[in-house]
Amino acid sequence: MLTVENLQVAYGAILALKGVSLEVKEGELVALIGVNGAGKSTLLLTIAGVLRPVSGKITFGGDSLVGKSPEEIVRRGISLVPEGREIFSSLTVEENLRMGAFVRKNQAEYQQDLEKVFALFPILKQRLHQLGGTLSGGEQQQLAIARALMSHPALLMLDEPSLGLAPALVDQIFDLITRLHQQGTTILLVEQNVDRTLQIADRVYLLQTGKVKFGGTAAEVRHQGEVEKVYLGGVE
Amino acid sequence: MKNTNAGILWLKSHTTPFILSIPLLILAVLVQAYGDTLLVRIVTVLFINLVMVLSLQVFMGNSGILNFAHIGFMGIGAYTSVLFSMTPQAKAATLPDLYPFLRPIHLPFLPSLLIGAIAAALVAALVGYALMRLSDAAAVITLFALLVIIHTILVHWSIVTNGPRTLFGVDNYTSLGISTFFGILVIFIAYLFKETPVGLKLRASRDDRYAAASIGVNIVQVRWAGFVLSAFLAGFGGGLWAHFITSFSPYAFYLTETFSVLSMLVIGGTGSVSGAVLGTVVVTLLREGLRAVENSVNIAGVFPNNLVGFTEVVLSLLLILILVFRPSGLLGSQEIRLANTIPLASGKFSASELSRESSPKEGEHV
Repeated sequence: MLTVENLQVAYGAILALKGVSLEVKEGELVALIGVNGAGKSTLLLTIAGVLRPVSGKITFGGDSLVGKSPEEIVRRGISLVPEGREIFSSLTVEENLRMGAFVRKNQAEYQQDLEKVFALFPILKQRLHQLGGTLSGGEQQQLAIARALMSHPALLMLDEPSLGLAPALVDQIFDLITRLHQQGTTILLVEQNVDRTLQIADRVYLLQTGKVKFGGTAAEVRHQGEVEKVYLGGVE
Repeated sequence: MKNTNAGILWLKSHTTPFILSIPLLILAVLVQAYGDTLLVRIVTVLFINLVMVLSLQVFMGNSGILNFAHIGFMGIGAYTSVLFSMTPQAKAATLPDLYPFLRPIHLPFLPSLLIGAIAAALVAALVGYALMRLSDAAAVITLFALLVIIHTILVHWSIVTNGPRTLFGVDNYTSLGISTFFGILVIFIAYLFKETPVGLKLRASRDDRYAAASIGVNIVQVRWAGFVLSAFLAGFGGGLWAHFITSFSPYAFYLTETFSVLSMLVIGGTGSVSGAVLGTVVVTLLREGLRAVENSVNIAGVFPNNLVGFTEVVLSLLLILILVFRPSGLLGSQEIRLANTIPLASGKFSASELSRESSPKEGEHV
């Protein structure tokens, strides 16, 4: 579904991604892990069209995404829930959700989608007419994910959804991601919570200083002991 | 769902424009029935101010861009509408050099108003697309420059404006009833615009323009739509004012009026239609009250010299106090609405539907 080949992305003179290749198949939950500065967020932002690669290919459903605007990429079915949950704080929860549904042509499905989103996030139904900015951190994260879901993404990219949340809420978010995955949503997840991520992901890519250090199933990653090496020292 | 049910639900969650209009309508009716000439004039001006402040809110409130050019569009609407509504004789008297093709035209009041509004909207549409690419300080400064440009043209295009001199001979068509009608109409337009997809996208872009762009909003396009609608309504306001005051010069559409309308909007609350209405009412009535105080103090000779500018000073102080203590205005971005009329989640979903686990279906994304 999504293929990234030999992707290089630079911030000015500094290469943040030094030739990353990976693949996400339909229906998979693929996780990107790695320490701060490994290039995880950079990769998501590049796929979403916010950053332009220096070289390399990104193809989605057979079409190249390189050089397309973020708008165009959203229309093709890739939704990014950015780090720090950028919801619209002066719009109500309902309006935030409507914003998510705009890129779709079929507005008739809106009510149905809303219902599905409420089933996943009951709290949002209670908060429907509250301003986004008045929600708690966990609720804002749920709203950010819900908004992304309203656009019917073929691929949902989540950038550190558990960041800064209380442990109980972290559990909720991971349960939710598992449920979305079980329902057939294709997910590319960036996380720092490696333990929990290895429990739910189909496949994992371990990024280190702009390169893929290791790619494989979650079980393989555990057995190789690569995670410990990367997180606990031994940088090349 | 039957259509009537959906309609009632919609009305229940959109009570705001009705709550705002009804007291104003009652005020207009009472003043028409019992008020003296002065009171009728004050309330007529109140409704014209309402058109100006709400039209400003349409763009500024939803886009978050401070719009200094607004009163320029009021001027365009005023001058254009009177060119069509004045009698040929009146035009000959006040605008002797007028282009020959404009001289014989004499339209009724409402079509003239509409033409004035369209002229303002056309100018906004032409210059707007480039301007709407700018944000923050760059946008504010450019819009201010636009006000100066429009003003300069009005002052120097003597053939149609009588230059810096007063243009007279306009018929007085704007009665209390007419201004009430348009004031209330604009309350509904401003409120409904906020709720349209374009209005919603505009508000999202005000909150975070990068996030809005990343979920598929064309920022320039939605800003442009808001800007053109705002100018159209300002053109209407200008026409209403011109046919109320009946003689005016280009200086009426410059800094004094700009800051007057801006202060009404900022005091009430930029982000909401309710705030714009409240600000207009409070500032208009306060200004008339202060003027009366100023006059009586001067007539009574309390001070050795006449009191000058008392009204302006008090209003400026009020503006400063509001900006310090309630920077988002008296009402902020919340609309006034009946408290318990918002149906939970459009009232369509039952509790049982909510608590049930959503059953996964193959190949179907939530």
